[in-house]
Amino acid sequence: MWTFEPGLMRKWWPGLVPLAVIWVAAAWTQGGAVERDLRERTAATLKEAVLDKTRIEVAGRDLTLAAEAFSEEGRRSAVAMAGLVPGVRLVTDRTRLVPRAEPFTWSAQREVARLILRGSVPLPATRSRLAEAARGVAGGVEIADEMAFGRGAPPRFDAAAVLLIEQLGRLKEGQVQLAGTQVSLAGMARELGGREAIAAALGGLPEGFTVAENAVRAPPYIFQANKDPVAATLTLSGVVPDNASHAALIAAARRKFFNEKIVDNLKASIGAPANFAAAAAAALGELSRLSTGSLVMSDRTVKLSGDALYPVAAEQIRGGLGPQLPQGWQAGADISVKPPAGNVDPAICQQLFGELLGKGRILFESGRAAIERDSVGLLDNLVEVALRCPQATLVIAGHTDADGDDQANMALSERRAKAVADYLAKAGIAADHLKPVGYGRSRPVASNDSEDGKALNRRIEFTVE
Amino acid sequence: MTYIVTFHWGWMLGALLLGLAMGWVAVVQRGEGLSVAAFRRLAALVAVALVAALARLVPGQFGYWLDLAMMLLIVYLAGCSAGSALRGALIARHHANKAV
Repeated sequence: MWTFEPGLMRKWWPGLVPLAVIWVAAAWTQGGAVERDLRERTAATLKEAVLDKTRIEVAGRDLTLAAEAFSEEGRRSAVAMAGLVPGVRLVTDRTRLVPRAEPFTWSAQREVARLILRGSVPLPATRSRLAEAARGVAGGVEIADEMAFGRGAPPRFDAAAVLLIEQLGRLKEGQVQLAGTQVSLAGMARELGGREAIAAALGGLPEGFTVAENAVRAPPYIFQANKDPVAATLTLSGVVPDNASHAALIAAARRKFFNEKIVDNLKASIGAPANFAAAAAAALGELSRLSTGSLVMSDRTVKLSGDALYPVAAEQIRGGLGPQLPQGWQAGADISVKPPAGNVDPAICQQLFGELLGKGRILFESGRAAIERDSVGLLDNLVEVALRCPQATLVIAGHTDADGDDQANMALSERRAKAVADYLAKAGIAADHLKPVGYGRSRPVASNDSEDGKALNRRIEFTVE
Repeated sequence: MTYIVTFHWGWMLGALLLGLAMGWVAVVQRGEGLSVAAFRRLAALVAVALVAALARLVPGQFGYWLDLAMMLLIVYLAGCSAGSALRGALIARHHANKAV
């Protein structure tokens, strides 16, 4: 039986020389591979950890881990995870927390060809969520992510920022910003009504967030009307607030433009300035007095231009448009006077009056002698004709239907005739050439048994003498 | 340690074979080998190195080299022991046969 002699061990030493060679060769050839392998596996392990600016340095089997963590707990767990990677011997901890952003500000800006995200963002997941939201509204333009990580975001920051990015989608250019929980927006809305849509959407901001400033502007709200006497059309284009006001505006135009066909190119859109309908009705009334003219309403500015039918009308329109507009509206009237047509003999005048009154009717307020504003266009046309036969005497006859007291009807018809005569006199027709008379119900032109017949009987007639 | 083994098994196999050969030869080698004093110094050096490796006192690249050296040495010594034991056992049986 062989037994181990301790002295034998002293004879093993010559092998140490080739062993040293093996050692050097192993370290020489494998050292780099060990470091590479450890770096890769540590990086793979730390993918699960939420870190920023991760840098792994390996010397031998020792790691130096430099990174920014988003919480103290996350920081510690990342270091622990690195230490547990098989093969890792020592971990030098160079990790720190992401700096605190004070104040915590974030913004997104839309330019023509770029959408830029700036400021602080609390977590990588938030960052990718915001980038995703930005891609959703960018419409193909480049997205520049210039955000930096920072701690100290207000609660529900993600939801607020995503909502703001969505609002950026409604802007042609502009910026949304969060300073702590204060929201501010600026820029130009892409469409009419965009400003209102943004204001409504801001109501959905998460709890705790408040709108400090909403300076979003909208493109001008434009309504246009063109009166073309050659084609006898009134072309309406642009936008109106809704279908109801659309219908009301068309109805008003029909009353005011007795001779024109209405071409309706209007669209409905929100975003109208306050009192739009009243302003449009007033401006259309003045347009109806023009021979040829155009009306442009841009936000709260009304511009009326064209040719009035006679000089007094031009003055009245220039001075009258502004006071008719609601408060806060601006009027600009660029009115010239249509060259007067040549004088004609009374028979032609009579024919022209007949034609005009066949197309339109002078309307009065119910039971009163005040002329409705809708009728000024027709009256101006009557004035224009009257001015062409200055020598003639005009008998202006008022008629009523058979309803009511005879005497009252007689008096009303007379007052109405006089009101028309006054209008003509103010327009420059010599008062002694005007003869207003009232006939009450005595000269019906249709049966008083039907409403249609009564309507035909309530009338003003012009007779040239 | 398992990481070093899995990563350097080829080299460690080399150290083992070297140890086996050295152990095999050492049994029949004439002479005293290393002096007792030198052997003690060497053993002390190895002990210090081993403690330094186990306590992970040496950082970075040098630490890795030290670990590797210790592993190779252990495997080598194991090889030597096995080689010497095998040769010793073989010689002992030979002598026993002769005696019969």
